[in-house]
Amino acid sequence: MHYLFDRFRPTERKLIGVAALVLLPVLFIPVLPIWQMKMWAPQYREGLTLTIYANDIKGDLQNINLLNHYVGMKAIAASDFHEFKYLPLALTLFGLMALVGALVNRRWIGILGWEVFTGFAIYMFSDYARWLWEYGHNLDPRAAIRLPLFTPPLIGFKQMANFKVLSLPGAGSILLAVVWLLGPVILFLEWRADRRSARTAVKGRV
Amino acid sequence: MKRWISIAAAAIAVVWLGAHVPGCTTAGTGGAAGSAAQKVYVKPGEHDAYYAFLSGGHSGQVFVYGMPSCRHITTIPVFTPEPAVGYGVDEESKAMLGGFSWGDAHHPGLSETDGDYDGRWLFINDMPNARIARIDLGDFKTRQIFGPIPNLSAAHACPFPTPNTEYVFAASRFSVPIPVGSYSRIEDYQKNFKGVIAGVKVSKEGVMSLGFEIVTPPFDWDLSDAGKGPSMGWQFFTCYNSEQAYDSLEVKASQAEMDYVAAVNWQEAQQAVDEGKAKQIGGAPVLDPATVPGIIYLIPVPKSPHGVDVNPSGEYICVSGKLQAEVSVFSTKKMLDAIAAKKFEGEKGGIPVLSYQDVLEAKVPVGLGPLHTQFDDKGYAYTSLFLDSQIAKWKVGAPWDVPDKIDVYYSIGHLMASEGDTRHPTGDYVVALDKLSKDRYLSVGPTHPEAAQLIDIRGPKMELLYDFPTYLEPHYAQMIKAEKLKPFTVYPLEKNEKPYAVKKAEDARVERKGRRVDAYMVVVRSHFTPDIIRVSQGDTVYFHITNVEQDDDIAHGFGILWSSKNMQIEPGETKTMRWVAEKAGVTPFYCSNFCSALHQEMQGYLEVAPAGTKHAAVERPDARRVAEVAALMRHQ
Repeated sequence: MHYLFDRFRPTERKLIGVAALVLLPVLFIPVLPIWQMKMWAPQYREGLTLTIYANDIKGDLQNINLLNHYVGMKAIAASDFHEFKYLPLALTLFGLMALVGALVNRRWIGILGWEVFTGFAIYMFSDYARWLWEYGHNLDPRAAIRLPLFTPPLIGFKQMANFKVLSLPGAGSILLAVVWLLGPVILFLEWRADRRSARTAVKGRV
Repeated sequence: MKRWISIAAAAIAVVWLGAHVPGCTTAGTGGAAGSAAQKVYVKPGEHDAYYAFLSGGHSGQVFVYGMPSCRHITTIPVFTPEPAVGYGVDEESKAMLGGFSWGDAHHPGLSETDGDYDGRWLFINDMPNARIARIDLGDFKTRQIFGPIPNLSAAHACPFPTPNTEYVFAASRFSVPIPVGSYSRIEDYQKNFKGVIAGVKVSKEGVMSLGFEIVTPPFDWDLSDAGKGPSMGWQFFTCYNSEQAYDSLEVKASQAEMDYVAAVNWQEAQQAVDEGKAKQIGGAPVLDPATVPGIIYLIPVPKSPHGVDVNPSGEYICVSGKLQAEVSVFSTKKMLDAIAAKKFEGEKGGIPVLSYQDVLEAKVPVGLGPLHTQFDDKGYAYTSLFLDSQIAKWKVGAPWDVPDKIDVYYSIGHLMASEGDTRHPTGDYVVALDKLSKDRYLSVGPTHPEAAQLIDIRGPKMELLYDFPTYLEPHYAQMIKAEKLKPFTVYPLEKNEKPYAVKKAEDARVERKGRRVDAYMVVVRSHFTPDIIRVSQGDTVYFHITNVEQDDDIAHGFGILWSSKNMQIEPGETKTMRWVAEKAGVTPFYCSNFCSALHQEMQGYLEVAPAGTKHAAVERPDARRVAEVAALMRHQ
């Protein structure tokens, strides 16, 4: 049990500090895109873009909505997503938790923070997938063009009617993934350090 | 090894970029090597290196061509209504046309900064109605038509902007008694008829207003060019008919050995007006050179001169005597010296006349019927020869010789060199603008198209590259490097401040005040809101239509059946159209500009009830429709 109440080694402590530095500013400057969608059609060779930030959705919204209304898709508007209200705050709180973990220097805070963060990430992914499903399944029955129900790609490439759609995580998500990976990395570093000191102890005995 | 791999990768990347980045490969800007076909070929999807603006002559329009491909890109309506886009149909452009439905557009003049094209505006004259239009090169739309300029009668020497677009000019070609509308017996021509030269101020925003006018004897003022460098501040005008004949000009105006080129000091003229030395005639401040000296001088030129063109350095004024075989080249320095020394050989209508020999620098034997001159970047001039159907290339400076000539087809009027009247011509191309096409194209009967030729002037010899027909009738043209223009393609909706704009479906409505009905409509793919409008017979309906699209190339049209009413509304634009419900019944309207997959469904009805039927003061469109359109715009 004392493992959980132990302190971190200096290296691991610094890594947790890094996680705090990445997460803390999100509420104040949510500048990195979380997700990006690019859509090409024969008459849109330059492509239409949707960019999702922690607090907003930007890009060729008017055009995408205008084109989508022909198939009865609900118009996309930032005000529909209550996620934008809590996502930046949540990420900053995770950063705060990491900061406290690093400052107070107790392993249990770090582990708890990482586990809640993991749960939160899983929830956000499923939430995003649900949104995509809803946009492709709640089609207006009065639409001019009736398409079979569809789900836009969560990640990767998909041909949808005359559009080629590519969906990819943005720089913000990649950074979040790196922060998340710090959890397993710290465990690994600790495990390796433990093994080394154990080996040294054994050697010392011989 | 690694280093070599990275160098090879970088090289491949550079080649790939060169081949794929748009605008990176522009045709026709390379060397002079290759066949004529290769030099004019612009690959599908790629762009030309130059915009060329050809005046539309008596079609009243401006034609836009891409060079070197010689492709007709668009026609800008200027002095003539154009039903496809509704120019002269919507209330704003109708007011700008001022009741005229015809103009004769002769000379495009690109705005300049420091004597070089700056790509802001294009000015062009309407000769018969003495008007000047300004086209904004942001959206290629006519934004101002100034005139009819008071006292002016046929503005042919027009507009020829000054090096910083301080002024554009206009001068009477057919003198009349002034103010316009005054009566005189024609036999009293010399006594009562007046020539007029006008300086039109251009504001920083491009807005034209009258600066000054100068009254002259009733010569026929013909062409003009602005001085630059040492001749900055002077504007030159040629005239024919210094004989002051009023009939049979063909013979009577060709008798004198000498006509004139006038040098107008526009700074002095403006100052004289500002000092109150002008007399108000026809609502314009008119200066009389007999009482206000120092504003205008005459230089004799042989045989009914036509074009006057100042060379890029501004040192020489080249005047083509169209009934002789020479270009007379005058020296700016000699002119200024003679003026300073007050060395005059006489006066004409109060205007001092300089001596031809005092001011002449050289006579260049170019050939028969010289009309206009343009320049390259290597010190050569190119003069069109109407009678010889040729272009002569000659050296500006000793030995003033003519090293090359090329045939053109047929009877060339103006010519234009790439940026060829600026301080820094690019020296790539000359375009011959021919008056007759005869047998050059597939025959379309007696009304022939006009003809033009693209000529490569990069090498020591001129090379004919391409032959292309144009609609009636380019006179002068100007060519500007494509990268100097940055057109925009969508009017930002948030900057639309038109009083009748409605940007939200919730605001769409039909308002009534007595017999006037204002229909505030929103258009977006693929519907009008409202699409049913109820009025009564005898009502005057103003349709205020806002296109709330913000996408490239998604214009909507609005055409009313059994009428002459149609207009196009560009993305982000608001336009107003007036229509009178003359008969009771039902009149459909529709989107006339193909916009989208359901363009065909973009239609509506005007329900015209018998006269006297009562309507609500405000009628709003169907709530469900409003909600649907509002949903599309929710992201705002």
